[in-house]
Amino acid sequence: MPKSDLEEETLSETQYAGPVDLLIGIAGAVNAGELQQQVQQLQGYQGSHVVIAYPGATEMEAPVQAESPFRLMPYSLPAADRSLLPWAIASTAQRTICAMAVEMGAKVCLSLHSDLATLDTRHLELFLQAIAEKGCDLVLPVYPSRKFEGLLNHSILAPLTRALYGQRVRFPLAPDFGCSAQMAARLSDSSPHHAAADGALLWPSIQAALSNYQVCQLSLDLQHAPQTEGLELSAILSSLVGSAFSEMETSAAYWQRIRASHPTATFGDIGRQWNDGEPVDTKPLIDSFLLGSRNLQEVWSLVLPPVTLLELKKMSRVDPASFRMPDEVWVRIVYDFALAYRLRTMNRGHLMGALAPLYLGWVASYAGEVAGLSPMGAEQRLEQLAKAYEENKPYLVSRWRWPDRFNP
Amino acid sequence: MWQQIEESLRDSMGRVFTKIATLLPGILAFVLVLLIFLVIAWLAAMLARMVLNAVKFDERTNAGANTLTEWAPRQTPTILVTRIVFWSFVMIGVLVGVSTFEAASAESGISAYVFSYLPRVIGAVVLLFLGTVIGRFLSRSVLISAVNLNLQYARLLATGVRWLVFVLTAAMVLDHLAIGGEIVDLAFGILFGGIVLALALAVGLGSRDLVSRSLEKEANRPIEIPVEEKLHHF
Repeated sequence: MPKSDLEEETLSETQYAGPVDLLIGIAGAVNAGELQQQVQQLQGYQGSHVVIAYPGATEMEAPVQAESPFRLMPYSLPAADRSLLPWAIASTAQRTICAMAVEMGAKVCLSLHSDLATLDTRHLELFLQAIAEKGCDLVLPVYPSRKFEGLLNHSILAPLTRALYGQRVRFPLAPDFGCSAQMAARLSDSSPHHAAADGALLWPSIQAALSNYQVCQLSLDLQHAPQTEGLELSAILSSLVGSAFSEMETSAAYWQRIRASHPTATFGDIGRQWNDGEPVDTKPLIDSFLLGSRNLQEVWSLVLPPVTLLELKKMSRVDPASFRMPDEVWVRIVYDFALAYRLRTMNRGHLMGALAPLYLGWVASYAGEVAGLSPMGAEQRLEQLAKAYEENKPYLVSRWRWPDRFNP
Repeated sequence: MWQQIEESLRDSMGRVFTKIATLLPGILAFVLVLLIFLVIAWLAAMLARMVLNAVKFDERTNAGANTLTEWAPRQTPTILVTRIVFWSFVMIGVLVGVSTFEAASAESGISAYVFSYLPRVIGAVVLLFLGTVIGRFLSRSVLISAVNLNLQYARLLATGVRWLVFVLTAAMVLDHLAIGGEIVDLAFGILFGGIVLALALAVGLGSRDLVSRSLEKEANRPIEIPVEEKLHHF
């Protein structure tokens, strides 16, 4: 086994944990009182030897009776840059939780969001069932869908993961996940120590695909608060999309061989369709796209081929009411930016900044299209986009292999 | 008297022709040496490009965190190295040519002057290169940030930043080459000071009413209830 990346204090804590069936790690700062209260409500849970690890320096007092299967244990996170975005900090915590699971020899490991919404008996049982009974190595949640939420996930992260790695997962970068012991070992192996400080994200679904482990999905009837409030879009793109592009670089040999995607087994309640109320105003989004189109042609021309530039020019001339970005254009834009990221055609921060107006253009187009549709109709629209990603994969593979020769 | 004028004209013509005849072999030798070195430079650059392509130099250097292409997108490391090789040979050719010119024309002191000036030229070239690269990088940073902040004058802002860096670089290069002496410093000081003063006056006088109005508006503004964002990216 490779030398553990855990902090010394955490390592010594794990050595005194005794036999552990289930490790539940809270991936982020948590209120001690809330955690104790939540743990007391888990008394209906039938299992034994459960460790609940939370980031902190001090040990909480035993919250429950002596015969309780739960033990609360603090763990320390590696020092990370304070300017890191919330999901980067969560990734650092997830890595640590997986490493702890390996050290403790836990049979099942759950990494949960720090808002503790997932920490209840029912959800724990659903996760455990999927891993212990259905034989899943990685269980990713499916949250109830809203038309105008998780747009970056729906437009890039999920369809890109599906097209590249062949896994139809709805939330490849979910804040909650459960995994088997071998998956935890894989995730802890795939996490170099410096990754935490760099803000590199942990992509469990990609690691599972690379190891050919079984991935399942679990429909959960809960929602976490959006994490992007008050953050700059270019910073969000740099962190999330940049990380997805980095993963593409490291796993290029694998995803070039994958030809088609396959459905992922989904358990739990059928995800509730949440209504989104009135449609959003697309004018500011289109204005941002047009401003980019007027000013960033020089930058885009370094990344995008002439055909795409021509399409963007045409789009900038149409009436805002009928503004639409064809799926093929959007997919090729994402693929071309991934290639530019790999080739370092320009500074990566600049590259992601130049993607922002294009992304807003896609959001405007999508919002205009699904405004009158039901949540189910919006789902179908996203499915159509995901298929476009798969259909255009040969374009990515050709450009990836011969960036200079293949440039339509 | 006419005869004297004629004689002096003939003498001066003779001196000029003699001087040209003395310098001509030197000039020819200089041109010949330069041509030979241009051919050598071209061959060496080609050889360097072939070797670098064979060892996949671009891919190896691009594996690092901060590479040249990130700062100057149209320059690959291979192109840069090839150009350095080419211009190094041309520079050597110029130096050899100057020495040859001096030897062939019996004009003393030229090569000593050129050799003493060479470090300044190299420094100026480095300054020019860095200034150009930094100017472009900053200009692009400002352009992209301004577009993402929805500023309508993004391009104007980026062009302003680029030219500010270019003018600063030009002044530094001229100063380094000791061309123009105090005039460059003075002109640059006046230009820069003028821009700053103009901006200060524009804000201080031109926008006085605007500033006071916006301050009043800010003071009297009721507390806004934040509107819930309908779009969430992640």
